[in-house]
Amino acid sequence: MTTTTQSDSGQPVYTGSGTPTGDEEVVLGFSDVDVRFKTEFGSVHAVKGVDLKVRPGEVVALVGESGSGKSVTSMTAMRLLPRNATIGGQVDVAGKEVGRLKEASMRRLRGNDVAMVFQEPMTALNPVLTVGTQVVESMELHGVARGASAWKRAIELLGMVGIPEPERQMKKYPHELSGGQRQRVVIAIAISCDPKVIIADEPTTALDVTVQADILDLLRSLKDKLNTGILLITHNMGVVADMADRVAVMFKGEIVERGTVEEVLLHPNHDYTKMLLGSVPRMGHGRGQMGISVKEEVDADAPLAIELKNLVIEYQRLGKAPFRAVDDVSFDVRQGEIVGLVGESGSGKSTIGRCALGLIPAASGEFQLLGQNITGMKRGDLKPLRKRIGVIFQDPAASLNPRLPIGECIAEPLVVHKVGDRKSRQDKVYELLDAVQLPREVYNRYPHEVSGGQRQRISVARALTLDPELLVADEPTSALDVSVQARVLKIFSDLQEQFGFACLFISHDLAVIDLLAHKVVVLQNGRVVEAGPRQQIMENPQEDYTQRLIAAAPVPDPLEQGRRRRERHELLREQGEEIVELKVDGEQFHQSSQAEVVDVEDVEDVDGTDGPTSR
Amino acid sequence: MTDNHRPDEPDPTPVASPVEEAYSVEKPIDLSQKSYSQGQLVRRRFFRHKGAMVSLFVLVFITGMAFTSIGYGIIPSWWDKTFYDAGATVDGGRPTLQLWPFQIGEHPFGQDTIGKDYFALTMRGTQRSLIVAFTVGLLSTVLGTIVGAAAGFYRGWVEAILMRVTDLFIIIPLLVLAAVLGKMAGGGIWSLALVLSLVSWTGLARLVRGEVLSLREREFVTAAEAIGTGSGRVIFKHILPNTIGTIIVSATLTIATTILLESALSFLNFGVRPPDTSLGLLISTYQNAFLTRPWLFWWPGLMILGIALSVNFLGDGLRDAFDPRQNRTAD
Amino acid sequence: MLQFILRRIAISALIMFLGSILLYVLMINSGDPLADLRESRAENREQLMQARIDNMGLDEPWWQRYLGWLTGVSRCFVLQCDLGTTRDGASVNALLLASAGASLRLVTVATFLAIFIGVTLGVLSAIRQYSGFDYAITFGAFLFFSLPVFWAAVLLKDFGAIRFNNWMADPAVSTTATAVVALVFALAVASLLGGSLRRQLVTGLVTFAVVFGVVFAFDQVTWWVQPALGLPLILIGALGALGFMLVMTVGLANRRILYAGLVTIGLGLVSYFVTGPLLEDPANWWVIFALAGATVLVGLAVGWVMGGYERRTAMVVSVGTALGMAFLVFMDRLLRGWAGFLDMAPGGRPIGTIGENRIIPERFTGDFWEGIFNWGVQLVLPTIVLTLISIAAYSRYTRGSMLETINQDYIRTARSKGLSDRVVFTKHALRNALIPITTIVAFDFASLLGGAVITETIFGWRGLGAMFRQGLEFVDPNPVMAYYLVAGGAAVLMNMLADIAYASLDPRIRR
Repeated sequence: MTTTTQSDSGQPVYTGSGTPTGDEEVVLGFSDVDVRFKTEFGSVHAVKGVDLKVRPGEVVALVGESGSGKSVTSMTAMRLLPRNATIGGQVDVAGKEVGRLKEASMRRLRGNDVAMVFQEPMTALNPVLTVGTQVVESMELHGVARGASAWKRAIELLGMVGIPEPERQMKKYPHELSGGQRQRVVIAIAISCDPKVIIADEPTTALDVTVQADILDLLRSLKDKLNTGILLITHNMGVVADMADRVAVMFKGEIVERGTVEEVLLHPNHDYTKMLLGSVPRMGHGRGQMGISVKEEVDADAPLAIELKNLVIEYQRLGKAPFRAVDDVSFDVRQGEIVGLVGESGSGKSTIGRCALGLIPAASGEFQLLGQNITGMKRGDLKPLRKRIGVIFQDPAASLNPRLPIGECIAEPLVVHKVGDRKSRQDKVYELLDAVQLPREVYNRYPHEVSGGQRQRISVARALTLDPELLVADEPTSALDVSVQARVLKIFSDLQEQFGFACLFISHDLAVIDLLAHKVVVLQNGRVVEAGPRQQIMENPQEDYTQRLIAAAPVPDPLEQGRRRRERHELLREQGEEIVELKVDGEQFHQSSQAEVVDVEDVEDVDGTDGPTSR
Repeated sequence: MTDNHRPDEPDPTPVASPVEEAYSVEKPIDLSQKSYSQGQLVRRRFFRHKGAMVSLFVLVFITGMAFTSIGYGIIPSWWDKTFYDAGATVDGGRPTLQLWPFQIGEHPFGQDTIGKDYFALTMRGTQRSLIVAFTVGLLSTVLGTIVGAAAGFYRGWVEAILMRVTDLFIIIPLLVLAAVLGKMAGGGIWSLALVLSLVSWTGLARLVRGEVLSLREREFVTAAEAIGTGSGRVIFKHILPNTIGTIIVSATLTIATTILLESALSFLNFGVRPPDTSLGLLISTYQNAFLTRPWLFWWPGLMILGIALSVNFLGDGLRDAFDPRQNRTAD
Repeated sequence: MLQFILRRIAISALIMFLGSILLYVLMINSGDPLADLRESRAENREQLMQARIDNMGLDEPWWQRYLGWLTGVSRCFVLQCDLGTTRDGASVNALLLASAGASLRLVTVATFLAIFIGVTLGVLSAIRQYSGFDYAITFGAFLFFSLPVFWAAVLLKDFGAIRFNNWMADPAVSTTATAVVALVFALAVASLLGGSLRRQLVTGLVTFAVVFGVVFAFDQVTWWVQPALGLPLILIGALGALGFMLVMTVGLANRRILYAGLVTIGLGLVSYFVTGPLLEDPANWWVIFALAGATVLVGLAVGWVMGGYERRTAMVVSVGTALGMAFLVFMDRLLRGWAGFLDMAPGGRPIGTIGENRIIPERFTGDFWEGIFNWGVQLVLPTIVLTLISIAAYSRYTRGSMLETINQDYIRTARSKGLSDRVVFTKHALRNALIPITTIVAFDFASLLGGAVITETIFGWRGLGAMFRQGLEFVDPNPVMAYYLVAGGAAVLMNMLADIAYASLDPRIRR
């Protein structure tokens, strides 16, 4: 078994202070864990000898980008990897060696000693069972409570994690709750049997930033009040700074650096950690990070690229009043200017973007695009206007036609608008490929042969094919890893400087907006909350909502983040909002979750035939 | 292993620095490897599918036999008997085909009640049934693709009609409508193929519509529309090529259902009618001879089963090839 | 949900109406209704032709004929249906009444059997993906999918009816046959229960021994001629039902619910003797239904009283156990009727190759149980043909849907709670996997109706299929339209059931 990478990467750096010593209590321990997957293309070595320990009441963050093996590592503790996985090494949960347990004993461990919180609250709950059924289930299974008393306790649990009117929610189905509430339900299920350790796999990645801050507060109060150990798996350095006591950085299946959160985030030793931290745009640091620069001066007399006056966009609904996605929105974008459109999910930011592309009609108001009013314009009349607009979408997996070679994808706007001949189109594509730093040879390749960030760069190239005056970028980097995002942003800002196009930059990430935009428009529920120059909005926000939004975005610096957290709590108190925490006393909780019913012996003892093979 | 971390260096710049290259989670594009288009990948997966390959062989074999043995149009025949001439009955008309020791004999599939060579008859029936099935497969695929794509892309009245016709087939069984139309068609294979196509396209149209609806929401289609691509180009360049898997698989399955439908109709006397023949008609004619001359019943039935089974397996292989999500991982 | 279903019914009604116009027009243009008379040499040919023209209204334009039919049908709303006459002037109403019952019974039984068996096989083969069992089911599904219905029906008529009758004259199972049956069972059970190779070997051997023993014992006591279950087998079966219900809900370890189930079985034992005289020769089916209702009530009561804080589960288990036991008692009585029926059957041959009743009802003299056999034996073979083909579709769809569901995130959540495979599959996966299945029920039912036309032809039933076929052959629209009304009505009803099932499975469309 190998513990070193084949690449020319640096030696693993174990400055790791704070690692538990031999005689300390450990609730979750990985020693020399190694995972391989058998696939049709041969064996994939996903985890290469990982050592990690979690104490009670401690948060250990396992950080890495996609494909680093962090989630796979955590799943070995639950023994829930697919059957084609081969696991080596030893995993201990609450003093039991997972690999040696029989299937029935393993099931008793899951949920009872170790619980999980998953990334996607939308899909983590069973859509056809009520919330109540799903919360009660594991308590009944592990004998914490049964029947009516389990139901009562479930209501208490929902109340503890801050769900309003818990009794009513028990009878609801998951689709009737919001994403944040669902994640609270998942957390309630996780703590229902008072586990010794919780594995939280990207618990806030799918959530809006203010909801993320609340959920993080809740998780923090778990470890403080219940003394639960938490293994936090995340790619977000801000979350790490906010939550973790200790950090381990993973790269390609190995831990390359570990230590206390201050050591790793403030004084990184390993090149990878440094690069990772260097790629994260930081809230409040504004311009000039990561070598990205934008031309600050925008000609105040430049013509308007976009001018919105009292725009209203509605979605028709069957048998109901139309849903107003955008309500009375006015702002403008000058030539050469980048305007950041910020908001959480459901704020209507993408709808405005799609309206600008002529894909959704406006219900009322005025949408002036490059000097022409497009509301009520016919498809045919729109076409010459479309030639002057470029577009980038979020999902790199879906934004390129899988059946067209990359060269054809990029040349498509030229073909549609009948610009140039075959040769000149090809030259233009080569030029663009150079501009986005891709080799010219990808011209004849297919989208499935390149990775996400490269595909997003191809999208940028396609958007710029016709030298547009306006670019609409809808969350262009949200689906990318941070290091990849940094590169795409750099290319984007260079090109903007070079070509000087106006840009409507739609994003939920305030730090990215802070880095790029000249002007910021903050949206909430389809309305403009606040709009103005970047500096004014980011440094001196006036509206409550903007203040909360900015306060909720975490920064990858534990000391600064601690300060920001306190400031945020103060702000919430001032605004009369609640600070989320577990509403229960620790002692009381532990007592109430003692098993009421004597644990019955599992009769159906299937000896480990369902789990992955262990060696 | 070299130690290449340099603590004194300033913050690494993100664009293409050596450190970034070394620790990038993006795989560099391997330009040395051969490039495969989606189509090539599908073909490779398909040719590696054992079941599909065996089925393809069986289907080609049956088709080849049916069209060459007794000839068709300009294709010459090599079998010396015809399906209409009655000869002297040999050995009660029993089949002379033998597997061990292998021999074909005079009448490998036996003779019918009046001494016609049953091999020639069966081949004639197979030929007719295959012509109907493949014609219907082609026509209904074209029709279904056009209607399905229009319904999914333009919605509106095309979609309304498609959905109501689909509802109609829930109420009137396909076989019943086909029987009525088959009776009207009058017993010729080409008119039968035409009317069967008229009732067979809805399933494919529904599938294509669903696929088009979901593709329309994909970002590359939105992007194409946003740059001003016309509807025709969006449909033919961006949407339909991505539904090709559904269309081909579904066309295959249509062929299998048509073989069964045609033979059932002919069996009920609403399909191919004498003097022409088809596999269903042969079974219908000789079902009462089952106890005395069972081979008259077995051969056409086995032919239908063989064709339908191999076409179905072929469809399954195609589905696996087009949809690698369902591919079997090493287990 | 009500709105959703009402909308669907309204659409179906509209489609029924439009479909009737289409079918009527196609029908009257499908040939020459006077063809046979034109070739006839009868002396009163002109007279016969005129009579038929009058009967069928051939001298009227098509829309007038259609409106005439529609007026007659629309009087169904005041319960005075008039479906017109055949070309010979016979009332279609009477024709329909005589033929609809048997056909609808056939299609309904086939549908529910196919759904039940198909879904079960699909779920099992998904759970044991890539096992021998899975491959066998997959191959079987492809085979039956590709099987011409009429061909399979003729085959079954030969093997199932004629050879079974021959065997029934002197029923004896050879040792080889017994061994083969036992081997098939052993392979299926071993592959299904899975586990290590050693485990599978042991399960296989045990199953083989048990099945072999049972068949051998049956053969020794000439069970085939005088079948019965007897009290011991009923009790064993009831315990099996209890075990199954427990495994499907809370597991065998739950004492409280186990005791509730045992009490239910005890009460069942008492009522076996109490209701014995009543079951000797019940007057009609209502007696059976009333007893089944009482069984459910007793089960509910036992669960209610003994369930404690797990009342709901206890009630479900008790009712399931009670119904299982009641079914066994019913089967016991039914089997005891077999010997009597054998005596009655013409030539001692129990299964006829033609007709929907073995002995025509007017001449039938047996008791209630023998009466069931009289139509039951005739129902078996057509049902098998229809069911086999539908099972293939259901098992394939269920398997695919189940595999898709198992890969969902919430299944991982369920496993991470520590739930066993049994609970994960039954409680979390199955309901989600069934949602897409409900949508194919409607299509499958339509193809079953089509298949029934063929099977009825082969098994010589005077059912709906025959009515349709004859009407089409004679270019006589009224019988065909009557077929359309009944078949279409059944399809709409089935569709509605599927919609209700859909809505009750999926809370997302309920409100």
